[in-house]
Amino acid sequence: MMSDDIKWIAIVLLVLVLALLMWVGLSSRRSHGEYYLGTGHTIGRIGIGAAIASNWMSAASFLGIAGVFYLKGYFAMAYVIGWTGGYVLLLILMGSQIRRFGKYTAPEFVEARYDSSTARFLSAVITILISLVYCVAQYKGIGLVFSWVFGLDYTRSLILGAAAVVSYLVLAGTLGATRNQQIHYAILIICFLLPLMAIADRLGYSWILPQATYGTALRDLAQQEPAFIAPWSHGTPFEWIALCFTLMVGTAGLPHVLSRFYTVPNARDARWSVLWGIFFIGLLYWSAPAYATFAKLWETRNGLQVDAQSAHAMADLIVIKAGEWAGIPRWLVGLVAVGAIMAAFSTVTGLLISGAGAFSYDIYYRLFNPRASERQRLLVAKGAVLVLAVLVVLFALKPPGLIAEITAIAFALAGNTLFPVFLLGIWWDRTNKYGAIAGMLTGLVITFAPLLLGSTFPLLFSYFPPTSSAFLGAPLVITVMILTSLATPPPPERIRRFLAEEVHSP
Amino acid sequence: MERNEGESSPGGDYRVNFFRPRPGYLRKRVGYTWILLISWAFFTFGFQILLMLVETGPAGEGPLTNLSVFDFPLPYWYTGQFLIVWFIFLCLLFNLLVDHLTKIYRKRR
Repeated sequence: MMSDDIKWIAIVLLVLVLALLMWVGLSSRRSHGEYYLGTGHTIGRIGIGAAIASNWMSAASFLGIAGVFYLKGYFAMAYVIGWTGGYVLLLILMGSQIRRFGKYTAPEFVEARYDSSTARFLSAVITILISLVYCVAQYKGIGLVFSWVFGLDYTRSLILGAAAVVSYLVLAGTLGATRNQQIHYAILIICFLLPLMAIADRLGYSWILPQATYGTALRDLAQQEPAFIAPWSHGTPFEWIALCFTLMVGTAGLPHVLSRFYTVPNARDARWSVLWGIFFIGLLYWSAPAYATFAKLWETRNGLQVDAQSAHAMADLIVIKAGEWAGIPRWLVGLVAVGAIMAAFSTVTGLLISGAGAFSYDIYYRLFNPRASERQRLLVAKGAVLVLAVLVVLFALKPPGLIAEITAIAFALAGNTLFPVFLLGIWWDRTNKYGAIAGMLTGLVITFAPLLLGSTFPLLFSYFPPTSSAFLGAPLVITVMILTSLATPPPPERIRRFLAEEVHSP
Repeated sequence: MERNEGESSPGGDYRVNFFRPRPGYLRKRVGYTWILLISWAFFTFGFQILLMLVETGPAGEGPLTNLSVFDFPLPYWYTGQFLIVWFIFLCLLFNLLVDHLTKIYRKRR
């Protein structure tokens, strides 16, 4: 599948970029403004927007969307729209209220709102599960790109990649480097857009704004393969809508996305920065289908027949393949690989830290050892990072699907559990801990039942597809939460008053 | 953010219900949220349903897929390009509306 020569240019570029980020991180560690540039309102908000985008963009955005588009055409638009439109939902329903609540992680919010350590425990477990599933997809991306860069087989590349992630994490941690999200975003977007322009140019299309003009290429492709272009060739309207809806509610329930709102100076900046966030994310999402279109077009032009199995195997690397096929300079292809690795690295480190934090603080400290010192907690967190990293490698050895599909399962889980808990927690003061606990348990069952029992009960699979289970799942969970809350005593006055007077005031 | 008991504070009424928001700031804000939610859902899912309603072929081919906008087949342009612009516009609209609302209600105190 892979050519087995080592791509030295990519390695050099990767080392350069990592060194640059480390240097920036070290020279700015005194300033506390990790997300906030602090120079005036507009620039500050644009900066937070870039931070939102760089926090968001993972291997799923960088490699996954183009991969699905390459295989399934219009069906991939459900990913594009689901992963941008979710921010609208987040903004209008929860953005500023979450900021007002002033809690830093999902489990902390759950405890503050529902006043229950059981609910907190459940939400911590869910946070860890989401991190795990999400990371498996990222590791698949790292494994694939590393195997392209180093010319090794997938398993060895995966282990090499995992080791690289952990050493990067340890090194950055020991040196105390802060992450500069704005520079990180700039690197990612350049790595994505520059090669695309070159590819468009090579294939004879306009290189200026290829993301807005690849329609011509799409039309040319449609003449060759009209069936590929038709909207429901690769998924029914129900599947499309269910997937899109799941990704949207999942976005509004992902712990590491929600966390961005706590670190913003005030509720108003939180709202405005989302606007910039969507714009910055949009820059990449407008462009991703163009990569796949050009790759597909090159295939048909050169009469390359790819059977379904190899197409599936290659899909997640199609952004790199597109560059190689079009014959753009090698350093530009290397740039795509570097961008993909950077996107996956930062997402994995963020998720591992938040997963380990949930274990060390919300489970170990709050439940098992309330007298643990800060040192002990840190030690447990470090151990948890390692355990999680190893677990993820084990699951990623045989990835269960495409990068985007695995990521979608994490979104389904978030949409089925944390989204309803946050939504009702903010918008209905009567929701109580029993409702939250019942809802989260129902959501866990809905997410994992089709995965575990889908082969025995095919009906389950068609109504709750693993990547799209929140379409029917989230409304069901919300119903369960409302009924359970009404059947049990209301939450304490103190919490309801706080909600009305602090969270929902002008 | 310092907040004291004032005219717009809920006082004894601390009901928070998306479907029955208390009068004043919250009711107006929920009103805006509804407008935004409907335009979000209508433009996202409504178009896919429309595509399904007017289709003439099994895979969704129909009058809409034959149209081309900026050289794109219409569904691809609408979903892949326009909808993201629409989302950004919705965020802008919501922020302007809420900023306006907050200004009015903060002055009253």
